[in-house]
Amino acid sequence: MSTDTKYGRFGSGHSVRRIEDPALVAGKGQYADDVAPEGQTHLVFLRSPYAHAKILSIDATDARAMPGVVAILTGDDLVAAGVKPLPVSTNFPRPDGTPGVSPPRHPLAVGTARYVGEAVCAIVAETRDQARAARDAVFVDYEELPCVTSVTAATAPGAPRVWPEAPDNFAAGMRHGSAEAADAAFAKAAHVVELTLENQRLAPASIEPRGVLGTYDAAADRITLRMSTQMPSGVRDTLCDAVLGIPREKMRVTVGDVGGGFGMKTGAYTEDAVIAFATRHVQRPVKWIAERSEEFLSAVHGRDLLSHASMALDADGRVLALRVKSLANVGAYATPTGVAIQLLIGPWVSTSIYDIQTIDFDLRAVLTNACPTGAYRGAGRPEAIYTIERLMDAAARKLGMDPAELRKRNMIRPEQMPYKNPMGQTYDTGAFASITTQAQALADWNGFEARAAQSKARGKVRGRGIASFLEWTGGNVFTERVTVQVSGDGYIEIYSATQAMGQGIATTYAQLAVDVFNVPIEKIRIVQGDTDRGQGFGSAGSRSLFTGGSAVQLASRQTIDKAKELAADELEAGVGDIEYDAGRFSVAGTDRGIDLFELAARQGDRQVFVDATNTVEGPTWPNGCHICEVEIDPDTGEVTIDAYASVNDVGRVVNPTIVRGQLDGGAVQGLGQALCEQIVYDPDSGQLLTGTLMDYALPRVDMVRTFKTEMDQSVPCKNNPLGVKGVGELGTIGATPALVNAVVDALARAGLGERAATAVQMPLTPERVWKALQQRGA
Amino acid sequence: MSTVQFAVNGTPVSAEVEDQKLLVEVLRDTLGLTGTHVGCDTSQCGACTVLVDGQAVKSCTMLAVQAAGTQVSTVEGMGRADALGPIQQAFVDCHGLQCGFCTPGMIMATAGLLAEHPNPTDDQIVHALEGNLCRCTGYVNIVAAVRQAATALAADKR
Repeated sequence: MSTDTKYGRFGSGHSVRRIEDPALVAGKGQYADDVAPEGQTHLVFLRSPYAHAKILSIDATDARAMPGVVAILTGDDLVAAGVKPLPVSTNFPRPDGTPGVSPPRHPLAVGTARYVGEAVCAIVAETRDQARAARDAVFVDYEELPCVTSVTAATAPGAPRVWPEAPDNFAAGMRHGSAEAADAAFAKAAHVVELTLENQRLAPASIEPRGVLGTYDAAADRITLRMSTQMPSGVRDTLCDAVLGIPREKMRVTVGDVGGGFGMKTGAYTEDAVIAFATRHVQRPVKWIAERSEEFLSAVHGRDLLSHASMALDADGRVLALRVKSLANVGAYATPTGVAIQLLIGPWVSTSIYDIQTIDFDLRAVLTNACPTGAYRGAGRPEAIYTIERLMDAAARKLGMDPAELRKRNMIRPEQMPYKNPMGQTYDTGAFASITTQAQALADWNGFEARAAQSKARGKVRGRGIASFLEWTGGNVFTERVTVQVSGDGYIEIYSATQAMGQGIATTYAQLAVDVFNVPIEKIRIVQGDTDRGQGFGSAGSRSLFTGGSAVQLASRQTIDKAKELAADELEAGVGDIEYDAGRFSVAGTDRGIDLFELAARQGDRQVFVDATNTVEGPTWPNGCHICEVEIDPDTGEVTIDAYASVNDVGRVVNPTIVRGQLDGGAVQGLGQALCEQIVYDPDSGQLLTGTLMDYALPRVDMVRTFKTEMDQSVPCKNNPLGVKGVGELGTIGATPALVNAVVDALARAGLGERAATAVQMPLTPERVWKALQQRGA
Repeated sequence: MSTVQFAVNGTPVSAEVEDQKLLVEVLRDTLGLTGTHVGCDTSQCGACTVLVDGQAVKSCTMLAVQAAGTQVSTVEGMGRADALGPIQQAFVDCHGLQCGFCTPGMIMATAGLLAEHPNPTDDQIVHALEGNLCRCTGYVNIVAAVRQAATALAADKR
């Protein structure tokens, strides 16, 4: 970390103000809907009002005659034009061993609509109002079919089938571990705890909805999509390879400012395919900006897992085995990510930071008539960590042990590193007990009883929850390519195919470049979001900094090396005699030298250009301990977050302010799951009951007043040269169990005892908590 | 169609608008002031907040024709990227934004609050921002930004 060089205060380790911000706070952001080319048309979708229905006919005759209508497209139109369905999950077999299945996910429904909000028809018109008016004139004749929206209903005997090839509605299944070994461990256990846990369905709900602007260059037969996405290359590749069947060079995807992603804007959507097709079809720019209700209906949902989990412990509180049976509601189409998240990625961290080698997991992905699921901040890890952290608390209560002590007794010790968990995942580093001890100090663990007494004196019930945990980051794509251009015009432009969506990547990368170039940060320009300039996996799974950032550092160093050779020629000296500092090359021991940018200007193309690819050695394993204290008003059941403290092992920190923002902002998303957020479908009709921000409760400004957040940098990651660990999802993963454990603790103290653990499920709305409190006398 | 005359960021504007057009649509589509954002269809998110005659208003809840004769302020009127106003600067200084999509609405809601309560309590800040949703920051830094902005504006007045 450079602190003593000329521009070091803008290098890594410092809370540099974000270079993204001035434009954004001045209203000069360029989000998806902020660009409007000449001749732009507007596309709206007609969506299924039924959770499950045959589409008998679509009559758009009247709609086509409406003012301003340019085109109306149906699923059959797209099939006739050769458009193929989007990829569905095929990697995981069904529980009976037969190949995994899913209904084909057509860009517009063909023959059958399988969830409320599935796009059935697309209307293109000169204005959005005209498109909406024409949408109302499209007549679709549906035959309603029986539907299921929950895993319980979908796996009941005689349940309606979402897809005939899955008569039991199982799209896929996975077993991990050994049932026999787990049986033996449970048989000799001194204690067994078991819980049924609902990890409810959530809406990622970025404040900027999805949006796509398609343009078509007829002369080059080339489609450009300018869109709000985390994965421009992935969108292009899927649409070209699988859906449209065109060469990749016939499509360019560009990205402006992205108003939040949280995993929801990864990969290609059906809507993206329709825009790409439509712009080529009408040979004009076509824009679609999702309405909020469309986002609730059709942007992927997260979580939605029903787990029955049990843990066997010996008399001393050492965990002998973990058994989890889960049903994951993956919705009407089993997307590759939706299935992998629940069957594989989450389970990678199911044993978390604990030394547990005996597992028995039976995980199943269930088709329902609900919106497909996909990545949402944490993506499987929140579900896995919630499960084990709830079990840990239940075990501590059963054994009469301090919950932190029980956890520490089971933690993997630093000397066990590298540690291979029973899912075959290898943790490179971790000082888990130290992190928890620090968090206890930060939270004034020992002062809790006094605070509980004070709460009681005020008529409130206080509870404390702890979650100690780790997570996996990286998407298992470890290679990133970066180009560096030192321009003769006096700036350094760095292109990366990772994608900003609010994380502050540009500032962070610029700081890493300042470390190497030691020039003012204003000289660094970070460019992203253009598949013509570079391709890569994009930003997901908290991977950008440790993969892309490592590549920025490498590419910057290679640029200096290359420029040194050029400087040696210019200065007629040996390369070994050339020194670089603060934007200037000089010949050692002389006053001869040349400015970096001057050197670039003297090259034939007025630049020094380096194209570098770097591969890091593996994922990162950030971890932390989050401790939450709540007060419950027994008259109303309302939960108030009174204190929140966390210590986070995030490896080396490039920008402390940005990292803290990720941790705290992420924590509030996790608290939202714990307290208020839930997607609800009506079980009979399959209608979405939480289709607006009036019905779906996002956290508001009053949720948390202060965070005590600390970062422990003493255990750098060994798998990347920066020593950094991914931080985007850590707060979300820790916050949910910390808060729920606090409420359960409060309920237990209020008189429910061990019953508290089974008295509530998320979200912990006042009604649910109040009802649980009424069990006190029972 | 109606002709609507009002002032935006101090500049008189005359626009031909369809009667059903919302103020936010005219600001964005007719006047090209895309700093005011649309994040929902139900007036819940507050990304479209502007000032109308000094009061914070969600511009998706108001017809453009209703703005006739008023003074409308948008985020573009609060300062330029190379010369930020005190509220904008406070959001930058306090890391009160991440993706930035809700930020113009937050800034305008803050402007409305500070016009009424130049030295707000935390409860007043929380009350004023209850109608503005942010999914990134967790709000704590936004509240800090409002506090800093209040201090900066008070210092400017002295």
